[in-house]
Amino acid sequence: MYHQPGPRRPNKAAFSWDDHYVPEDFHEQLFELEREGELTVQRVPEPYIEVPVKYGRTKKVPVGHTWHHKSCGQCGHIPGYSTSIFWVHRKLGIDYVDPHDQTSCTAWNYYASATSNAAAQASVAVRNFAAAYETGYFPLIHCGTSFGHYKDVRKELLEHADLRAKVREVMAALGKPLVIPEEVVHYSEWFYAMRHEIAKLQVRDFSRIAVCVHPACHYHKIVEADAIYDPEIYGGQRTAIVTALVEALGGEVRDYSTWYDCCGFGFRHILVNRDFSRSFATQRKIERMMIEADPDVVVTHDTGCVTTLDKSQFAAKALKPEFATVPVISDAQFAALAMGAHPFLVCQLHWHAADYHPLLEKMGIDWERAWAQFEEATDKLRHGEKECLTWEDTNV
Amino acid sequence: MSPSATAATPALPEDPAFKLGPTYSEVPLAEKQRLFDAVRADERYPTYLHGCYECGICVGSCPSARYYDFSPRRIAQAATREDVELFYQQMVEDIWDCSQCFSCLRCPRGNNPGGVVTLMREVAVNNGLDSAKQAMKGYTRIIYKILSTGTQIAPDMLSAEAFPDWGPTVVQIADNLDIWRRALPPETLHTTSISWDVAEKTLLELYIIWDKTGALDVIADLDPDLHELLEEIMEDRLDEAGYER
Amino acid sequence: MSDCVLVIGGGPAGIEAARTVADLGLPSVLIEQAPRLGGTPISAHYAALTPRFADAEQGIDGMIAALAERENAEVRTSSSVTAIDGEAGDFRVTLAGGEVIEAGAVIMATGFQHFDPGRARQMYNYYQYPDVLTIQDLEAQLKRGEVLVPSTGKPPERICWVQCVGSRDRNIGNEWCSKVCCGVATKQATEVRQMVPSARAYIFYIDMRMYGFWESELYWPAQEQHHVQYVKGVITEVLERGTRLLVRGEDTTMGRPLEVPMDMVVLSVGMEPSKGTARMAELLGVARNRHGFVDAEKVPLDTTSTSRPGVFACGAALGPADLEDTISSAGAAAARAVAFLQAHAVTVG
Repeated sequence: MYHQPGPRRPNKAAFSWDDHYVPEDFHEQLFELEREGELTVQRVPEPYIEVPVKYGRTKKVPVGHTWHHKSCGQCGHIPGYSTSIFWVHRKLGIDYVDPHDQTSCTAWNYYASATSNAAAQASVAVRNFAAAYETGYFPLIHCGTSFGHYKDVRKELLEHADLRAKVREVMAALGKPLVIPEEVVHYSEWFYAMRHEIAKLQVRDFSRIAVCVHPACHYHKIVEADAIYDPEIYGGQRTAIVTALVEALGGEVRDYSTWYDCCGFGFRHILVNRDFSRSFATQRKIERMMIEADPDVVVTHDTGCVTTLDKSQFAAKALKPEFATVPVISDAQFAALAMGAHPFLVCQLHWHAADYHPLLEKMGIDWERAWAQFEEATDKLRHGEKECLTWEDTNV
Repeated sequence: MSPSATAATPALPEDPAFKLGPTYSEVPLAEKQRLFDAVRADERYPTYLHGCYECGICVGSCPSARYYDFSPRRIAQAATREDVELFYQQMVEDIWDCSQCFSCLRCPRGNNPGGVVTLMREVAVNNGLDSAKQAMKGYTRIIYKILSTGTQIAPDMLSAEAFPDWGPTVVQIADNLDIWRRALPPETLHTTSISWDVAEKTLLELYIIWDKTGALDVIADLDPDLHELLEEIMEDRLDEAGYER
Repeated sequence: MSDCVLVIGGGPAGIEAARTVADLGLPSVLIEQAPRLGGTPISAHYAALTPRFADAEQGIDGMIAALAERENAEVRTSSSVTAIDGEAGDFRVTLAGGEVIEAGAVIMATGFQHFDPGRARQMYNYYQYPDVLTIQDLEAQLKRGEVLVPSTGKPPERICWVQCVGSRDRNIGNEWCSKVCCGVATKQATEVRQMVPSARAYIFYIDMRMYGFWESELYWPAQEQHHVQYVKGVITEVLERGTRLLVRGEDTTMGRPLEVPMDMVVLSVGMEPSKGTARMAELLGVARNRHGFVDAEKVPLDTTSTSRPGVFACGAALGPADLEDTISSAGAAAARAVAFLQAHAVTVG
C-alpha cells in the first residue's frame, strides 16, 4: 500500500536541482535590458521574503507596501475573496494600497475572445505596472489569470524589441514609462510567504478540516519556472502553492487523481458554452475529489477556478440528486476564517453557491448567529442609517 | 488548377481543394491561404510552433479534448503541414473549443498549441469570419463593459436570466445587490455596474491604449453598432479630459 | 615520446579500447574512478543485454578477464585523472595521489549518466510514487529474477513503459534521441511477459526506434509472441487512484484521450553526458558539442577523433550509444590511437 500519501510524503531518494540543468533565469535578460535603457525595473521593496520556486531558485515576495491589482471576477462575483485578502493584510498590520487607478488586466477577455492583440495586452499590463510604480507601492496580483498573463507579457516584452518599442510609444502618449516589476507576484504567493505569521494569529481549530487543493492552470502552467515549489511539499515535484498554507493552518490536504486537471473555466465557455465548464468541473474535478478524498472544502487560489467549481454544482445536483456538493473557497477566505474573520461580513460566503454551512459548523462557527449579525448590519443600510459598511463593522 | 473552388466538388486530383472533399469549398483557396499566412506572419508564431512528432502529450493534458472533438495536436499539425484547407476548417469549427488553459505548454518540442489557437482566433476576429461573430454572440457585453468601465465583469451581470443554472443564490444576489455591495468593507467595491471603482483618467487611458494598438478597429469590424456606441460615449469623455486622439 | 595509450573510464568502451590497444601491440593504462571495472551496466545492475538477452554481468566480467590476460594492459581502479600537460605523443597525465603517467595518446571512455526523472517536465512523480520506476530500477529487479510492484510486493497485473523520458525535449534541453530505450523497453517487456505471463505490458511511445535487426529480433516477437501492446502516444501524467496508478495521455492512432490504470510505470530515461565526460573534456581541453557530449568533429568518416590531437573518444562519451556501437567505436578509437602513435614515431623519432 502507498505509504503516507499526501503532501508530506518523503521522496524515495534525495532530489535537488543542479545549476547545470536549469533554464536561463529571466532576471538576467530583465536587468540587461534595464542597463541598456530599454525599460525600468521596479524593485521589490524591503522587507521581502524569499520563497522557493522551480529549478532550485528563489523569488522575492514583498511583505507589504503593495499595490493591490484587483480581479474583475473576484470583485464582481466573489467579493469575499478580495475582501479577505485585504482583511488579512489589515489584521497583520501590513500597509497596502487599494487603487482606483487600476484597470482590468483584460486577459479574461483576451483568452475568451481574442478581440485584442499582443500590443494592447502588453500595454494594459505596463500601464498598470506604471500606475503602481508611480505610487511607489509594489504590485500584488489578485487573479491567477492576470498573474499568468502578466508572466507571459513579461516574456514577450523581454523577447521582442519591436513590441517594447510599440508599448513605449503607447506609454509615452499616456506620460508613463515602460515599467516591469522585478517580480510578478501573485497574492497566493504572499499567503505562502506569510503562512507562519498568519498561523500565529489563528483562533479557529482546523485540525478536523479535510481539504482538496486545486492549483490554477495559469498559475503554474504558464512560464512554469516562475511558480512556488517547496522541497517539503510533495517532495518539490508539484507546485506547493495553497497546500503549504492549508497545512500551516492545520488542515489536512488530501490528494485526488485529477489534481493537474483544469477546472474547466474556459474563459468564454463559462459565459456562452457553460455545459462544457459545468461537465468538466463536476465530472473531472468535484466528483473525483468527493469519491476519492471526501473533503470538507475545496480551496483554490484563482477567480475563475472558484467560480467554475462553486457555481457548476447546482446543475449537477439537480441532474443527479446523489451528487455530493462541497463548498469552494479561496485560500484567502480560508486563512481569514482561520484568523477569526466573520463568514459573511468579511468572507462574504453568501455570494457562494455550494452549501458552506456544514463547513462552518466544522470550523466551530455559529453561522446562524453570524448571519443574524450580517442582517443586523445590512439593516442599517436598508434604513439609511449608513451609506456603506466599513472595516470597523467587521469587528463583531 | 482552378483558382477558386466553386460549389461543385473539384474534379481534378491535383487540385489542392480535392483532398479533403468539399469543406467550405465556397471559400476560395487563395482566401484560406491568406488567412493561414496572416497567422504565420504574427511575430509570436515562430516561438509558438516548431515541429511536431505527434506524441499526444498536448491532447493528454487538454480539458477540451475530453468533451469536444478538439485536438491541440491536430491544430499544431495542420499548421506545420501548411494544410490550409484543414487549417481553415479548424479556424471555423475548432478554435473556439480551446479552454486556453495552456496545459499544452508541456509540449516537448516547445510548441504552444493554445497560443496558435489564440493567433488563429485573432485572425478570425480581425477578418470578420462568420464563425468568429457567431462565437462572439452573447459575448459583446463583456467588451462593452471593459471599454466603458475598465473592468470585464460587473456585479449586475449576475442575473437569473443569464445564469439560470447557477442556482437560487444568483436570484438572492440580484435581489439584494445594492445592499450587499454597500455591505462590502473595501471602499472601491461599493459599485454595482462595475467590479471596482475605476478612476475616470484610468478608464480613458485604457481606451487610448485600445485605440493606439488597433484593438478598437477589431471591434469596429466585429460589432459596428457597439463600436459606434463606444465612440459616442468615449469621445465626449476624452474631450472633457483634454485628450487628443 | 611515449607509445602508451591512456584510457580514461573503465566501462565496456574503456575495457574494449584498452584491450584492443594491447592486442595491437602497444601498452595501455586504464583509469577507472570506481573500485571495480564494468561501468554503468555493472553499477546500475543491468540484467540482460539488448538485443540477444545475454547476461550483462557475465558478458562484462568476460571482457574484464580478457583484459586482465593482456600483459601490457595495466588497470588502475579507484583512480582518477587530475591534470594533463604536454601534447600529442608526449602527454604527462597526473593522477589523484600525485603519480604522473606518460602517454602518447589518450582515449576518453567516460560514458553516460541516466536522466534524472525528477527533472522531467511531464508529471511522472517518480520521487513521490513507489511504483514509478526507471528502466535501470527495473533492470535491478530483473537481475534479482523478479518483477514486483514495490508497494505491494506482488507481481504486476498491468505494467507500462513510457518512452523518451528526458530525451527529445527542447525545454529540458536534451534535444536528442537516446537510441537504445526502445530496444531496452522492448527487451524488458519481453522478459516481464515471460516471467509473469498474467501481466499485461504496454509501451507508450512517440516513435519506435528499432534499428536494423532489432525490428524482427526484438520488436516483432514482442508483439507477436509476447503480446506486448504498443500505443503511439506518450504519457503525460501519472497519478494515484486508490491503490493503483493512473496514466494519462493520448491514444493518437485512435484520436482520443487515454486514461488507464497501471500497477507499475517504468520510465525509459535517456542517456546524458556524464559528469565525468564534462570534467575530463574540460581538463583535456576537448571540445564538446552543443549537447554536452564529446564532439567527434569529423563524423561520419572519423567517429573517434576529438578537437585535440592525440585525444580520442569512444562509447557514450560521444553520444547515446548501444553496446554494439560502443564496442565498435572503442575498437576504432584504439586503432586510430595506435596508428597515430606509429605514424608519430616514424616522423618524430
